[in-house]
Amino acid sequence: MKRRRMTEILIEGNPELADRLASEIRHHYPVRELAAPRQGLTMIKMRETAKQSLFYLGEVLVTEAKVEIGDHIGVGIVAGVREKLAGDLAVIDAACRAGLSETAGWTAMLEAEEIRLADRKRRELAALEKTKVQFDTMEE
Amino acid sequence: MGYVAVKGGTEAIEASIDRLKYERLKGGEQVEVSAILSSMRLLIDQVMSEASLYSPELAALAIKQAEGSMEEAVFLLRAHRSTLPRLYYSETVEPERMAVERRISASFKDIPGGQLLGATHDYTHRLIDFSLLEEQEEERQQWLQQYEGELSALEDAAGDGTYPKVVEYLRNEGLFETFEPDNTEPDDVTKNVFQFPASRSERLQILTRGQTGAVTALGYASLRGYGQVHPTVGEVRVGYLPITVPAHGGEDGDDSYYIGSVRATEVESFVPMPTKGPDGKQELRFEIGYGICYGQNETKAIAMSILDQCLEHPESDAPSHDEEFVLLHVDTVESTGFISHLKMPHYVTFQSKLDSVRNTRKGRDGHES
Repeated sequence: MKRRRMTEILIEGNPELADRLASEIRHHYPVRELAAPRQGLTMIKMRETAKQSLFYLGEVLVTEAKVEIGDHIGVGIVAGVREKLAGDLAVIDAACRAGLSETAGWTAMLEAEEIRLADRKRRELAALEKTKVQFDTMEE
Repeated sequence: MGYVAVKGGTEAIEASIDRLKYERLKGGEQVEVSAILSSMRLLIDQVMSEASLYSPELAALAIKQAEGSMEEAVFLLRAHRSTLPRLYYSETVEPERMAVERRISASFKDIPGGQLLGATHDYTHRLIDFSLLEEQEEERQQWLQQYEGELSALEDAAGDGTYPKVVEYLRNEGLFETFEPDNTEPDDVTKNVFQFPASRSERLQILTRGQTGAVTALGYASLRGYGQVHPTVGEVRVGYLPITVPAHGGEDGDDSYYIGSVRATEVESFVPMPTKGPDGKQELRFEIGYGICYGQNETKAIAMSILDQCLEHPESDAPSHDEEFVLLHVDTVESTGFISHLKMPHYVTFQSKLDSVRNTRKGRDGHES
């Protein structure tokens, strides 16, 4: 599974999933902490719709962690103050970069969480749909 | 007269800080940061927007520490931000990826995807609700249960929460000018002092982090005649923008890291501008003013869209088209900082002015006698 998709599932989904996957790796491999979870900033680059140019919208507080498994460095980055999750994401990232055998079994769990997230999203959309305006044309 | 260094007041300052804490605590009840987070959404949005730092948790803490003072809370966040390393720059956020929870248009009744009111105070009676004085936890839970129960009975909706842009619809009709994506790296006013004339990216960055009141006041001034922009709002949307950062050595977007999303309000205003047609006759065409800010703050985003359009037309003599006038006066920390520095000791400079007045009078009195 591609990193963009996987990180979205792990960040938006139940953090217990990231904990479970990272624990599995920590249990079987030595994980060296390169950078303990720390707070920093990410500057958001944005496109505006009037002239299609780029500008900086502002910064977002992030928590970042780095670990190493063998020769493979993993990075965990998440918006907000979420040290545990950043650490777990870093371990999962390193495991994927290293191609550890355990990662092959993760796809089903990640897809199940993705389905749960999609269900939640559809319910939220349905709730918002209730606020959609149905215009009636007034007759004289 | 030279400067005279003085010292003193340390004990008084310490006592003053104790007094400040006493003012915060003496009421006996304290609002927890978690309560601010869950109930002061729009205040948090405004603080984050003016601080140019998206962190609801830190904004709530700053609000508590500042006893609800906007300027103080923004100052605290800006100061804290300056202690943190900037670790990443995001990939370009494309606005059409916003997961929309509210979008309306003042220009068209029927817009592709429909008008979605979402959560807004716009249609509420602006009457104080005295029942909130008696609101009980049990009552709140009961309401929530009932509301969520009603929602769970709804059929799931299709789609991913994104909506087509009204402006793109008009561009496709050939009614608005189209622009190719311009990927020129933006300037950053937090890294370099900007020079006049400012670049478009600098203008937008300064406006989006501007003080809500200042941006609104100058936008309003433009409408009242101190500018030449009076738009129709094409679209206001509120929703969440997904943020990704590129992976080191990553080749495409699928390699990037998703890090979360930020809530923002985005506005496109349609502004009629007189122009000469191919036959040399005067005709009207539309231009777009762009506004955006963190959180749900529609007034600020609309006002920003007015000022964006004003600053695109510096040929006007009106003050809201003067970028120095606008850009140097909308920042919260700069304006409140400069105004409030006036209460700091100016003993020597004022003494010097007093001496000047005395000498002038002495000279005049001597001359008259």
